[in-house]
Amino acid sequence: MKAEVSITINGIAYSRTIPIRMLLVDFIRYEAGLTGTHVGCTFEGVCGACTVHLDGDAIKACLMLAVQADGRSVTTVEGLAKGNELHPLQVAFNQHHALQCGFCTSGMLMSSLDLIEKNPELSEETVRHGLVGNICRCAGYANIVDAILDVAQERGS
Amino acid sequence: MSGSNNKLKDKQADGIGARLPRKEDIPILRGEGHYFSDIAVERQLHVMFLRSVHSHARILSIDTSAASQMPGVVAVVTGAMLQDEILALPQASTSAGLPGRLPTFWPLAVDKVKFHGEPVAAVVAETPYLAEDALEGITVEYEPLPYVGDMEAALEPSSPLVHEDWKDNEIFRSNYQALRTADEHAAHIKEARRRIAEAPFVVKQRFRTHRCGVTALEPRGALAVWDNRDGLTIWMTTQRPHAQRACFADVLQLPLSKVRVITPRNQGGGFGMKASVYREPLLVAHLARCLRRPVRWLETREENLMSAGQERDQIHDLELAADAEGNLVALADRIVADAGDACLGGSWAFPIANVGGLRLPNAYEIPFCDIELRVAVTNKAALCGARGLGIYPGRFALERAIDMLSWKIGMEPAEFRRKNFITTFPARLSTGLGYSNGDFLKTFDRLIETVDIAAFRERQKEAWSQGRFLGLGIAVGAEVSGVDSLSYVSMMGTPSYASVEVRVDPEGHVQIFYGDGPSGQGEETTIAQVVAEELGIDSENVSIIVGDTQTSTFAPGTVASRGAAMVLPSVAMACRSLKKKIVRVLAHDVAIAADEDDFIFADGYVMHRGNSNIRLSFAELAFRIVMKPINLPPGDSGGLDERATFESTRGNICFGAHAAFLEVWPETGRVKIERYVTSDDAGVVVNPLIVEGQIQGGVVQGISNFFFEEYVYDNQGQQMTSTLEAYKIATAADVPRIEMYHDAGTPNPTNPLGTRGIGEGCIAPVPGALGNAISDALRPLGIEITDLPVRPPTLFRQIDASRQRKQQAS
Amino acid sequence: MYPSEIEGYVAPCTVQEATEAFAKWGEETHYIAGGQSLMQAVKSRMIRPRCLVDLQKIVSIRGLHEDGSGHRIGAMTRYCDIASSRRLGGAFAALVDAASHVGDRQVRHRGTIGGSLCWNYISACMPVSNLAIGSQMSLVSLSGATRELGVDAFLGAPMETSRDEGEILLSIKLPQPAGRAGSAYRKWSLLTDGLPVIGVAAFLVLDETDRCALARIAVTGLESGPTRVPAAERALLGLAGSDRAEIETLLKDSASSLQIHSDEAGDAEYRKVLFRQLSLEVVTMAFDRALGSKK
Ligand SMILES: Cc1cc2nc3c(=O)[nH]c(=O)nc-3n(C[C@H](O)[C@H](O)[C@H](O)COP(=O)(O)OP(=O)(O)OC[C@H]3O[C@@H](n4cnc5c(N)ncnc54)[C@H](O)[C@@H]3O)c2cc1C
Ligand code: FES
Ligand code: FES
Repeated sequence: MKAEVSITINGIAYSRTIPIRMLLVDFIRYEAGLTGTHVGCTFEGVCGACTVHLDGDAIKACLMLAVQADGRSVTTVEGLAKGNELHPLQVAFNQHHALQCGFCTSGMLMSSLDLIEKNPELSEETVRHGLVGNICRCAGYANIVDAILDVAQERGS
Repeated sequence: MSGSNNKLKDKQADGIGARLPRKEDIPILRGEGHYFSDIAVERQLHVMFLRSVHSHARILSIDTSAASQMPGVVAVVTGAMLQDEILALPQASTSAGLPGRLPTFWPLAVDKVKFHGEPVAAVVAETPYLAEDALEGITVEYEPLPYVGDMEAALEPSSPLVHEDWKDNEIFRSNYQALRTADEHAAHIKEARRRIAEAPFVVKQRFRTHRCGVTALEPRGALAVWDNRDGLTIWMTTQRPHAQRACFADVLQLPLSKVRVITPRNQGGGFGMKASVYREPLLVAHLARCLRRPVRWLETREENLMSAGQERDQIHDLELAADAEGNLVALADRIVADAGDACLGGSWAFPIANVGGLRLPNAYEIPFCDIELRVAVTNKAALCGARGLGIYPGRFALERAIDMLSWKIGMEPAEFRRKNFITTFPARLSTGLGYSNGDFLKTFDRLIETVDIAAFRERQKEAWSQGRFLGLGIAVGAEVSGVDSLSYVSMMGTPSYASVEVRVDPEGHVQIFYGDGPSGQGEETTIAQVVAEELGIDSENVSIIVGDTQTSTFAPGTVASRGAAMVLPSVAMACRSLKKKIVRVLAHDVAIAADEDDFIFADGYVMHRGNSNIRLSFAELAFRIVMKPINLPPGDSGGLDERATFESTRGNICFGAHAAFLEVWPETGRVKIERYVTSDDAGVVVNPLIVEGQIQGGVVQGISNFFFEEYVYDNQGQQMTSTLEAYKIATAADVPRIEMYHDAGTPNPTNPLGTRGIGEGCIAPVPGALGNAISDALRPLGIEITDLPVRPPTLFRQIDASRQRKQQAS
Repeated sequence: MYPSEIEGYVAPCTVQEATEAFAKWGEETHYIAGGQSLMQAVKSRMIRPRCLVDLQKIVSIRGLHEDGSGHRIGAMTRYCDIASSRRLGGAFAALVDAASHVGDRQVRHRGTIGGSLCWNYISACMPVSNLAIGSQMSLVSLSGATRELGVDAFLGAPMETSRDEGEILLSIKLPQPAGRAGSAYRKWSLLTDGLPVIGVAAFLVLDETDRCALARIAVTGLESGPTRVPAAERALLGLAGSDRAEIETLLKDSASSLQIHSDEAGDAEYRKVLFRQLSLEVVTMAFDRALGSKK
């Protein structure tokens, strides 16, 4: 019924005894207390609000059990900034007004980061396609796309 | 009193009009937002609801005994148990202003269930996981009843009843008599009918819009804590904390003073879905009081898609008539709207539909209207407000009819619109709705200037000749921009003024308190900009405290585009009073006679225009007045705070004109939007970044509604779209970028800032623009878009049928 | 929303440990690969696993391997690894097409080719692409016995395969066709990259005169599960990519041979329209790719 796990989140190891059925997203939110990762689905895993990185890959933390992440390394939105220094994506999201209610934002950021890190060349179209796993209900996407392209361009140059 | 920097800018750089990135973003971007689900209190319990699997059924029995014994379960409740403990709705606080029927309901179904997904029982347990386990231990015995699902059939006398204490399923009816007497109205209708009968150009068409809405990404939730001294404290997702509070007080029979409702600092979207009084939070509050432990409910997406945020399904049998010169002469419409079970406190579904009829004539001069609305209850989730409250269907119907009529006359639809816009203000629609001011032509022409219709027609002709189908569709909307109390009281039963308190601390930092429940509209930034502008201080030195009934006086909520149109003006009013006081004190201190016009407030200083030696920092002055209240001018006392209430005049509107360019592929019925342009009159724009964000987001929601989203009930009333896999919301790859212009606006003279609210209405022209563009593309095939949503399979079928007809004919 | 109680979780490092764990826990034990389908079922409590045997640590069934006889893809190879594979061109490009457009980047980082084949969801992309390519499944049973099975025999009706209880899909073999070959996959869904209403995969082998010597066409999204279209396969024989008119006609004709259902997402008639369109696209692309692999 229960299992011992140790999951590294943003560089800190969280060792806990948890029910096997606990979702990774609940571990992140309630065991590690990192509430920046959000939940917007029942079981379908479509909205993307729970997106985090698992060993460097964007994944949906609602479609995984915490026990499956035992011994692995998770990065959440809280791990983006280095102390007071925001990640360029965070700055660009602010400058471009890429968030309104902000509920999608942490997932968007984590998907964007994945997109930027794995694709040296990005265009409006590839960015839009790269974001299909993240629903934003407020912003209409354009400003999110602009923010990402901005950072991508800066990296490229 | 002197300073080296004597040259002050006349205008605060981060004041009104600045493209200021939002103040509220940074914590959210760091993952440090405070959303509902981030709040937890010690010893909290978790509720989960068992929901009806039937759309309409009698509850024969509910057996909760097994569930009660399951691990971690603290309580299991049913509707029958609640009846003696709390009051049902409606109560005084939640009755509608309009004369419709209000169904009685408890938080959990009593005797029968009225839609698939209605809460039937609830489990309270130590963890949500255990609560969900225990739901499986509840057994409900149902006797299915006939499903009432078709709104027109529901209005037939033979229909089974949704609410059995009613004689039929009609919850509301209106003929928009406005201020006319019965006789005058009869004559008005007769004239409308005569005009339609005699007009050389008439369009008569049935339009249908589907059930969809703007479900927010963050589902609902409520967390209630009971304390013997303070009573209830409830954190919940709501756009209207004060309205919720009144309802909790009524239902739980507590004085208002014993109920505190708090909208969390960050709210993951609302769009009307979080404006109503729902069943679940009422039960959560009740349970917290009974169990003496905090109780928390976090809605699942499934619950949300089944029970909240569904709007827009209407049928319009519309007739629109024009004379030989192309002037609109009359409009008739028989509207039927589907209210679902209408068990929704504070909104009751039908006022939403009513707005659609009231605003139907849009921006046009239509002297005679014969509009009738009938609203039916059915076995579906209650019709619930969604951005563009009540008007999405009507805008679609009328804007489509306008296009159909213009082609009949042989006019370019844009020209036809120009000819028929209301041009004199104040104006009054024949439905009774007033428009205080605006300049539709100016904003419309800004759109036309950018779209170059003539060039498009050339391209279109060329494309047609090659078997390609390009279309251009234009639509407009004269939409709500805040509401006055008179209208709101009569419609929703609550006032609509905006009331804020502005406090200045001894360091010159300004706090704004008010009681709405925003959800990402950028209020922290725009309010700071208004304060910066008025008081000449840095917007960094302004913060807001919002959403807590404890720290605010009554506020109607974040609805109907009230933010820019009403809250900001009230902030300006309060600041202006403070300025007066500051100047009085300063003038008194330096012994000159002066009023506020003699002073510049900028860059954190207050400086005399004529004498730059009279110059003090805002912070110094704040300290002087708050902490050293001696030797004040006669009549003044210490402290620097001010409350202001702004009451809107009637009929304030914003105006938007949209143009969609698209291509239809006849082989598959697929549609691709090539370009989407808007021109909006948002009045004075406080922050262009935010206004554009509202429009970009609103239009995309409208597009998503039009092509992708639909709440589907099967023929037994089973809700088939309770996941985000089934209820399809557009992703980034499914929508275009919106090209926006808001430089052809007209300052709104009825408020001190000249602002207009844009958020609510910017979605409204979308279905008309898209419907018109697709129909325009397919003109060679004679296809008119009359039903929503527009999906490739249906469009293909229409195209195919038309081609086959054409082939047969030739 | 939340899974029902789960008693056991094992994450073995070898196939043998995995089958042993499965055998030990017995009833209601499930393998979990990427979990991108299984977790939906577990969270909605359609499946109530007593024990989950997680295959993610078994290195031997992961990754793409190539030898003279063709390719072998470990069952635990993720979509993203297939999508970014440079080796799987030409004959097997349909797999890259499919993997690149399954769901979204997050799903592609977890979901595996093996999981998709074993789940065989009604409109899944991987089963149909493998069906067209004619892959071979390698499986190991609870007793440790291995067997090879053609994809035609492996896939059944939606959500059904001929996999025995506890059997693990180890890898998918892609036999190197004798001759130049090309394949392609395209799907249509209302939203970009969603589960398709219809998806079509084509696999063609050409003779020395660039004419079609072997064709396998398969459709997903049908109630019958991933289904081959023999009428189209036969009619394509002997045609060249430039015989566009004939190809169009034969695909149109073969659409009517399909048993197609109607539902919310589209009626049968429309699904046929999509079939015609998509099959033309993939056949054209498969020809191009086969010719491209000439060098
Ligand atoms: C948001 C979203 C969008 C999606 N979109 C698409 C789409 O567009 N197209 C599409 O095709 N699919 C789509 N899917 C489904 C996705 O492809 C699944 O990942 C895939 O079907 C299952 O692979 P998995 O590795 O995740 O398997 P799991 O979910 O872990 O397992 C699936 C089943 O296979 C069994 N199993 C897994 N591996 C093995 C093995 N090696 N041996 C024996 N049994 C095994 C498991 O026991 C289980 O029964 C989508 C899923 C999501 C969440
Ligand atoms: S909560 Fe994970 S995708 Fe929606
Ligand atoms: S900002 Fe609200 S969902 Fe994206």
